[in-house]
Amino acid sequence: MTFPRSVDEALNDLAAAGPDAIPVAGATWVMRSPLRHEVMAPVYVALSGIEGFQRIDVTDEAVSIGPLATHDALAQKLPPNPDLKALKRASARSANPGVRRIATIGGNICTAAFAASDFAPALLSLDAQIEVRDKAGLEWLPVLAFLESRKSRELPWLVTRIIVPRTVRLSAHERLPMRKAGDYPCAIASVSIAVDDRGRIHDARIGVGAVEAAPRRWQNLEQALEGQPVDPALTETAARDLIADFTGRDAVDAPGWYRTSVLPVLLRRAFETIRTDYETRAS
Amino acid sequence: MTIELTINGEVRTVTADPRTALLDVLRDSCRLTGAKAVCREGFCGACTVLVDGEAVPSCLRPIGMLDGRSIVTIEGLAHFETPNPVQQAFIDHDVVQCGMCFPGMVMTLTAFLETNPAPSRGEVKAALSGNICRCTGYERIVDAVLSIQDMRKVSGR
Ligand SMILES: Cc1cc2nc3c(=O)[nH]c(=O)nc-3n(C[C@H](O)[C@H](O)[C@H](O)COP(=O)(O)OP(=O)(O)OC[C@H]3O[C@@H](n4cnc5c(N)ncnc54)[C@H](O)[C@@H]3O)c2cc1C
Ligand code: FES
Ligand code: FES
Repeated sequence: MTFPRSVDEALNDLAAAGPDAIPVAGATWVMRSPLRHEVMAPVYVALSGIEGFQRIDVTDEAVSIGPLATHDALAQKLPPNPDLKALKRASARSANPGVRRIATIGGNICTAAFAASDFAPALLSLDAQIEVRDKAGLEWLPVLAFLESRKSRELPWLVTRIIVPRTVRLSAHERLPMRKAGDYPCAIASVSIAVDDRGRIHDARIGVGAVEAAPRRWQNLEQALEGQPVDPALTETAARDLIADFTGRDAVDAPGWYRTSVLPVLLRRAFETIRTDYETRAS
Repeated sequence: MTIELTINGEVRTVTADPRTALLDVLRDSCRLTGAKAVCREGFCGACTVLVDGEAVPSCLRPIGMLDGRSIVTIEGLAHFETPNPVQQAFIDHDVVQCGMCFPGMVMTLTAFLETNPAPSRGEVKAALSGNICRCTGYERIVDAVLSIQDMRKVSGR
């Protein structure tokens, strides 16, 4: 195990050890390798000593998040503003309290094999940008491009910062675990919308997680909602009409058909939260 | 790798593969078997200990990342003859059945009550969402927690 103090040192440690080494953040995914019948990486490069990696800065323009910010730290630090509600709820409701104290946002979004990430759909709906460093230098990627690049990007690389832009928007995050809390959600919907002067939806962004193997935006539904009122029932109906856009993933926690059948309900719940915030803002 | 830890107030030096789970070091090297190895994936909470005062699953903490940290296990929480208020409430309400989950329950709730000394029923349930009990049905555990009159004594460890 190595303990680099900077990003350059971490990349050097990873390069020196070759494919045997992996970066380690909260270790909650890597410590479970044996349960997934995977070999534990021989060398861990612990990122915990890198300056600024735990930092969360909130301004009126953006939230800047270090990759080692824990779920718990984010849940506590994020303000309750409607534009950030999706991210705050993803941080506060994912996993369980003990895991939230150690698991990090960076570890969460870097795990390509994990289908039920709460952060991935939340960051998709909030149009986040991901800073990635590798030997070629620094690159900023829209979150979808980052998520899609995870398996193919040449090693070693590190996520070094996550930026969530702030604008006048309303957001919500809904998830359905099989128990009330504690286990992986079988479907997740994250929504962020702007509302125009006539009270109509504009520029909806909808992130869907856990339903398929990889999270993605639901663009057909986003288009269908453009210019519509903020109406939870109407949104659920529109989601049902378009549900064939998804092929649900069969896994031990839930069959694929179940994931797609609950997704429209999660959209309705998300829009209930959004409508309440909209009405509060308007009054 | 050699790691120095303070376990239940005692400084200990452990030599182990840095990827070894804290849980295994506690149980196999330190003979502290209160923390239980059940799921080994963060779901059940039976292995919960305090690391620098925070309740975390010890099955997911590689020992190499814990150099210099302070660990409290169920064995170090209170003296056998003077249980802490959470333990006492569990005895008074006859809550424990097989007991497998209880070391983790006590660790989670002790840390929780230190930061939230007057919780609602819903908050207690949310705090326990990472501690699974196959025997009790939880309600008596929650009753016992809510019966604790002087939460300040919880932090008297
Ligand atoms: C019981 C349990 C329940 C859970 N439930 C949920 C849930 O409901 N919702 C949810 O979203 N998640 C859930 N999780 C997943 C949890 O969020 C992940 O385990 C966690 O996010 C991984 O974070 P980590 O910091 O522990 O990462 P690690 O285990 O340290 O790393 C994970 C992977 O990411 C890589 N990595 C880490 N940081 C970086 C970086 N900065 N740059 C490049 N690569 C990096 C590592 O090499 C590794 O491959 C759950 C986990 C557990 C144990
Ligand atoms: S054994 Fe650690 S959480 Fe179950
Ligand atoms: S008392 Fe048996 S698992 Fe909780």
